[in-house]
Amino acid sequence: MSITLDQVTKHYAGVPVVNDVSLKIGDGEFFVLLGPSGSGKSTLLRAIAGLTGVEHGRIALHGRDVTHVAARKRGVGLVFQNYALFRHMTVADNIEFALRVRHMRARARRERRRELLRLVALEGMDQRLPAQLSGGQQQRVAVARALAHKPEVLLLDEPFGALDAKIREELRRTIRQVQRELGITTVLVTHDQDEAFAMADRIGIMNLGRLLEMGAPHDLYSRPATRFVATFLGAANLILARRTPDGIQVGATTVAPAERASGGRENEVVTVVRPEEIEVAATREELASGYLGRAVADEVVFTGSFERLRLRLEDGAHTPRLAFGDGEANAALQVTRTQHEQRLYEVRPGQTVAVGVRRVHVLPTPLSSFTACAPDAAQAQQLSRQPLLSELAARMKTRIATRVEPQLGEAGAQCQGENTFVGTTVIAAGAHAAARAEWLLRRGARDLLVLPDGARAPQRVLIHWIGEAARSATLAVSASVLRHLAAEAVYLGIFAPGAGEPPPQGMRELLDARSEAQATHGLEIRTELHFGDSAAELGRRLGDSPGQMLILGLGQLGEFAQRFGALLDGGRWPVLIVHRGAA
Amino acid sequence: MSFRAPSILPGFGLTFGFTTFFLSTIVLLPLAALVLAGTSMHWADFVHTVFSARAIGSYRLSFGASLLAASINLVFGFVIAWTLTRYEFPGRKLIDALIDMPFALPTAVSGIALTTVFAQNGWIGRLLEPLGIKVAYTWLGVTLALTLISMPFAVRAVQPALLEVQRDLEDAAETLGAGRLYVFRRIILPTILPALLTGFTLAFARAVGEYGSVIFISGNLPMKTEITPLLIVIHLEQFDYQGAAALGLVMLVISFVMLLAINLLQAWGRRNHVRTAS
Repeated sequence: MSITLDQVTKHYAGVPVVNDVSLKIGDGEFFVLLGPSGSGKSTLLRAIAGLTGVEHGRIALHGRDVTHVAARKRGVGLVFQNYALFRHMTVADNIEFALRVRHMRARARRERRRELLRLVALEGMDQRLPAQLSGGQQQRVAVARALAHKPEVLLLDEPFGALDAKIREELRRTIRQVQRELGITTVLVTHDQDEAFAMADRIGIMNLGRLLEMGAPHDLYSRPATRFVATFLGAANLILARRTPDGIQVGATTVAPAERASGGRENEVVTVVRPEEIEVAATREELASGYLGRAVADEVVFTGSFERLRLRLEDGAHTPRLAFGDGEANAALQVTRTQHEQRLYEVRPGQTVAVGVRRVHVLPTPLSSFTACAPDAAQAQQLSRQPLLSELAARMKTRIATRVEPQLGEAGAQCQGENTFVGTTVIAAGAHAAARAEWLLRRGARDLLVLPDGARAPQRVLIHWIGEAARSATLAVSASVLRHLAAEAVYLGIFAPGAGEPPPQGMRELLDARSEAQATHGLEIRTELHFGDSAAELGRRLGDSPGQMLILGLGQLGEFAQRFGALLDGGRWPVLIVHRGAA
Repeated sequence: MSFRAPSILPGFGLTFGFTTFFLSTIVLLPLAALVLAGTSMHWADFVHTVFSARAIGSYRLSFGASLLAASINLVFGFVIAWTLTRYEFPGRKLIDALIDMPFALPTAVSGIALTTVFAQNGWIGRLLEPLGIKVAYTWLGVTLALTLISMPFAVRAVQPALLEVQRDLEDAAETLGAGRLYVFRRIILPTILPALLTGFTLAFARAVGEYGSVIFISGNLPMKTEITPLLIVIHLEQFDYQGAAALGLVMLVISFVMLLAINLLQAWGRRNHVRTAS
């Protein structure tokens, strides 16, 4: 492996900008770190170069641990967005800089310089000053300079950002060619997905300091695992659907998902439908794909090779609900059509059309949508506007519904609404919270968020589960929550007091959990060991510092309200309960 | 050469006229008068005044102390500018504002303040006395006063140049294998060298022309702590206008030659930069 990162973490002012990133990049690989600005990708690159120290984790280059090695001894080449050429030196001096530092003889330097200038197609420019070159040429010089000392790793920090489209294209090709010719392991940082697609062998997508997903460009595009990747990498419609034994029920139609459905009970899922996978026709019968519903064209934009439509779905019994949007007004479907499709069926603004979907991808995310539940409509409305809930929903690009249960928490009472629960049910913390939580859990709610009034985005998420049946689900939910929060994850292992050290069985479960979190969800968690009663220890640990949240997995309910009453009724921390296993 | 420079702003003729008129009335004409007054003396008188032992002693002190002061400011002005541009610390803005104090203070006030502190019974002078170091009423005091009043020029000239040295340049040099000293010598210094020279020149020019602060701390002993501007004033007080003009003419010539030399050095340095490649 050329580059190995192991749990690399870096904070600025207490906020993790690079959060537990582990990554292996192979010899000669062209790896692209893609993410929005502020996602931590540049910081990670600087950490690899040695220009930024890390607080936690290891960095190895070609098997050599360089975590504490100075940048000048790491043997990397770095190219900056603004070229960073030495303006008082000629092209030749710039390129020979690293060689002069190493006291290479003049003749050898000259030869190496010629070779490099040929490589970047700038022969004969030796005596020019940077100011006499165009932007594209300057960046070529910067690339040649970064390669002069034959580094083992080439790092490119948004190298095309300051160039116009045509030069950019040309330079991309040059860099890819040079990289192939030299077989040098390369990491490129960019926020431009076209660039990532055009250059990468593999793409790693970062958000909020976390490396969310990695993979070949095509795999990431067609089978993203997270909402963020689905919507960041190209346009995507996120549609809430139901997973049934027959397949995925989207709107009026049931389609077999693109990949094998995992077993389990019927539940709500989030599906990704790419704009090019949506078909538009005059009537339902003319559609070649599964019928989604009828829609009105709000907007028709011609963009050259494609036509872009925004469709508003008409209300109806089977109207699929779009996951994204503050209300129904925003729930527009994005569609792109080729010239060929345009010629077959022309769409004008205001026209009503039949909409079909060709391909549906189901996201493995366990958290599909939120439902704020309260005894009356006013309280439910108020809860649905809680800041943390709104923020989570916005980041997850999902919606918040409301549900009124007048007899919420009253023993023996029946559910007023449908006797099914979709997504995550949310109730307010405070008095009766524990009793209400148990009431909902016993009536089928699987994920339940108990939310204090003033709760804000937490900095640390504590994870604990009781009963191995809940382990996988708790980890999946935790991973999903943590992908949308810049918080660190801590697993609390709580063992019976007295022994002084955890039983071997408990230790093994803990290690299994860690490796499952890493392997399946890409989630790095720290572990803490505590001894005592679970509920008491959780309460104590939550009380340690503000800004914490608890995710609590339960295999069985037992005497829930009595046991965890203190955690929920106090109303100080958000608690997300994941209930799996025997009802 | 044409006087019609292409510019989107009209009025080149008018502005050029103003420039020449302004420079003529407040710079060139008085200087010409000085030259005239100085050279209208009898040759023997001129030589006598200009090459008297007292005058030569004053030149040595004036130009020597000014060069020393400018050199000190070259180093410490750079250090101050570096601290102010590179680090974030509480009170940075305040210190930045303090730099300009010597600009704003009447120079006589600076002189009195320095004398109070460095006189034999002053706060610092008292501590230096047992060590055998006398500051007030010696050439050291003169240098100190000149250093103080010329300091802002050195700092303010280097500051913008330092701001322009991007951190990326240093980062790039570091990844290429350069140590800190090498980065400073080969990257930072060449980039700010013109600004350093400008700062040096300005500080020197200011120091040579200084009068107010020096007369308080120097003690004005002929041959020892008497600067040329003071000698000129002494001539004036004796109504020896021609003698004063003659000394002024000498200062003018020496200053002009030195400034010219520094400018040539700067131009040469700039050219040389570009040619380091070969």
